[in-house]
Amino acid sequence: VSTGHDSQFIDIFRDEANERLDTFVETVLALESGTADAGAIDSLFRDAHTIKGGAGMLGLDEVRALAHGVEDVLANVRELGTFPLELAEPLLRAADALRAQVAGTGGAALDVLDALAEGQASLEQHEPSLVDMVGSPRGPSERRAIRVPAEKIDRLLDLVGETVLHRRRLEHVLGGGRDEHDESVSDELDHGERLLDDLKDAAIEMRTLPLSSIAGKLPRAVRDIAAELGKDVELTLVGAETELDRVILESLSEPLVHLLRNAVAHGIESPKQRKKAGKPKQGSVVLSAKQRGALVAITVADDGQGVPPDVLSDAAGASLVEVLTRPGFSTASEVTDLSGRGVGLDVVKRHVESYAGSLEVRSEPGVGTQITLLLPLTLALLDVLLVERGGQVYGVPLASVEEVVSVRDTLSLQGRPALELRGNSIPLADLADLLGATAPPLAEGSPAVIVAGQRKIAVVCDRLLGEEEVLVKSLGPLLANVGGYLGATILGDGRIALLTDPNRLGSARRSRVEARPAGPAERLAPKVLVVEDSFTVRELQRSILEAAGYRVVTARDGKDGLDKLGREEDVALILTDVEMPELDGFQLTESVRANPATASLPIVIVTSLASDDDRRRGIEVGADAYMSKRSFDQQALLETVERLIGR
Amino acid sequence: VSDVHVRLSVGGESYALPVENVLEVAELGDLATVPGAGGAVLGVCNLRGQVLPVFDLARVFGIAGATVPARLLVAEHDGRRVGLAIEDVTDVGTLPAVEEATDSEFLVGAALDDGHLVGVVDVGRVFAALEREARP
Repeated sequence: VSTGHDSQFIDIFRDEANERLDTFVETVLALESGTADAGAIDSLFRDAHTIKGGAGMLGLDEVRALAHGVEDVLANVRELGTFPLELAEPLLRAADALRAQVAGTGGAALDVLDALAEGQASLEQHEPSLVDMVGSPRGPSERRAIRVPAEKIDRLLDLVGETVLHRRRLEHVLGGGRDEHDESVSDELDHGERLLDDLKDAAIEMRTLPLSSIAGKLPRAVRDIAAELGKDVELTLVGAETELDRVILESLSEPLVHLLRNAVAHGIESPKQRKKAGKPKQGSVVLSAKQRGALVAITVADDGQGVPPDVLSDAAGASLVEVLTRPGFSTASEVTDLSGRGVGLDVVKRHVESYAGSLEVRSEPGVGTQITLLLPLTLALLDVLLVERGGQVYGVPLASVEEVVSVRDTLSLQGRPALELRGNSIPLADLADLLGATAPPLAEGSPAVIVAGQRKIAVVCDRLLGEEEVLVKSLGPLLANVGGYLGATILGDGRIALLTDPNRLGSARRSRVEARPAGPAERLAPKVLVVEDSFTVRELQRSILEAAGYRVVTARDGKDGLDKLGREEDVALILTDVEMPELDGFQLTESVRANPATASLPIVIVTSLASDDDRRRGIEVGADAYMSKRSFDQQALLETVERLIGR
Repeated sequence: VSDVHVRLSVGGESYALPVENVLEVAELGDLATVPGAGGAVLGVCNLRGQVLPVFDLARVFGIAGATVPARLLVAEHDGRRVGLAIEDVTDVGTLPAVEEATDSEFLVGAALDDGHLVGVVDVGRVFAALEREARP
């Protein structure tokens, strides 16, 4: 493994390992007190396994050895099906030792390994004093919570939406003007409407969780990062009760830790510098969440040195977000061991945009930096402006609509139509052209919607139909690859409106493609799908592959991998881990092989499971290559990928 | 798996689909076109509150379409659901044994029924083709 990548990834690994160890300890304590749930042992095993994998790839042999020892013991416990109480102590000690090793202050921890081996031995002659951990209903903290697959809630939402439409039809049948009826009918209709509103809210609420559900560990993480850098920083949480779509929230933990790390490492000055600048010795980082209409704004603000003035002046017209998210951009003038900037703000931006959100950055030299993630409150509801073009209805997310103007005089700039608006020239385009639809010519004076996606653009349509809060429905797996849409919705009259993706509208992708003279298609770099549940390993692999010129898509587990594979057009190879939640690497390989469309896709399994059995299983399910994380070698990986893609 | 098939006419020809892949048959109603999708995608329709993609089956089969589809066959495979625009459903019942081999990638083979050739559809392959056809 090249050291260039090491320095960048060791910090990420450290954060991830610490986070894993936090849950590890919590889980062991829960097992000890009999309040653990059925998946507790699996969760412990995965924590140890992930730490082992990451450590192996980064060449941290002591960490790897200890994590391996823990994993071995847990593998036996898993077989046993019950958790022996006397194992809690050595496991907790192992967690402490791992934490010290990860921080670089621990040694080989031979005594801990011995204790584990002892616990291991005692497992074999184990019989009584076992805690039945499978769904143990012991203890006072019995929770009446159930896990429901998201699809079931979506189906419920579909049905609520249908019921709303049904109600409107019923109202129509009863004869448009309600006042013709006696009061009792209209009372009942009003009552029904209120019930339906409540029902819709209740269904949507099931999809949301408060920010506090992921924020608990953040103050500790900030304190640890600060301590390591010799800084004094306090994290304050504001608005932690703010609710957000569960799917989005669960994916936010990693990006937030990154933003916090950046704030501490690059924002907050050393105590000496702060004193010189007349600031309090203790730096402050505030993580706040607030609802802004249909969006939730999550802000990480520090009172540090801000972005250097020369960076601000370098921006030259580009926004601060654009400058800071250029791949590999770093504001640290000196490289500290925490400056893992290669997977910095650009990754966070991509992440936010994948949920139709956006990123805002404000910074003032000497005063501090504020980074705001704007995310939809729920993925199920969207406020849109409905417009019509060529007899079809489209929805534009209201969050990115700046204003609506009527097109009278159009200008031309560099051969492209533009609109003059209060002294600014904004590119102008027909909605039909942007989407690739055919439609009759636009009338003079048609309305133009000023859409601010990645770029600002005036989108012209036939007429506006008004604002509406709509239920977002997926276009389904088969149409998922058709870019440019966030989904579709069903309107009050039963018609379907496609919901346009404002970021894609602005990039005017299609019209440009059409305008290009027919010639040999550009050869794009092959795309590799990296499926890996460890953030460290995933980003390390991404960075290695991207550095070698590949395009990379990542997925968090096998299920996510299959989704991505369905959505991404031209994946040329899959690189997958084995041990993952939801769907493991073997199952993923099987599914990919079973689908005729992807049956011949090259698959490389990279894992720390390196027994012959596993190897055989990997080959049996149809993997093309099997690489061990233990002997992970960047060059070997690239050679294997290149050979299989045939580049 | 039963050998009951749904017989349908597409582009003036006769085809058969295993009945377990057919959820329902309805009139081909209003569709919203999906600009940017492949040519075989006729659009999306509202099937009781769910958004269903609709494909022109004659075009997927590469039959120069002289006929206009009037019916919608809702098919399911591997948890994925699509609408297939067809002319009509002619029959539901058991099919004579598949005798004729074909070189079509979409067919398991062909059966000879009362002097007519019936193409027996390989649903998995058709869905894989739909996935390709969905893109521009």
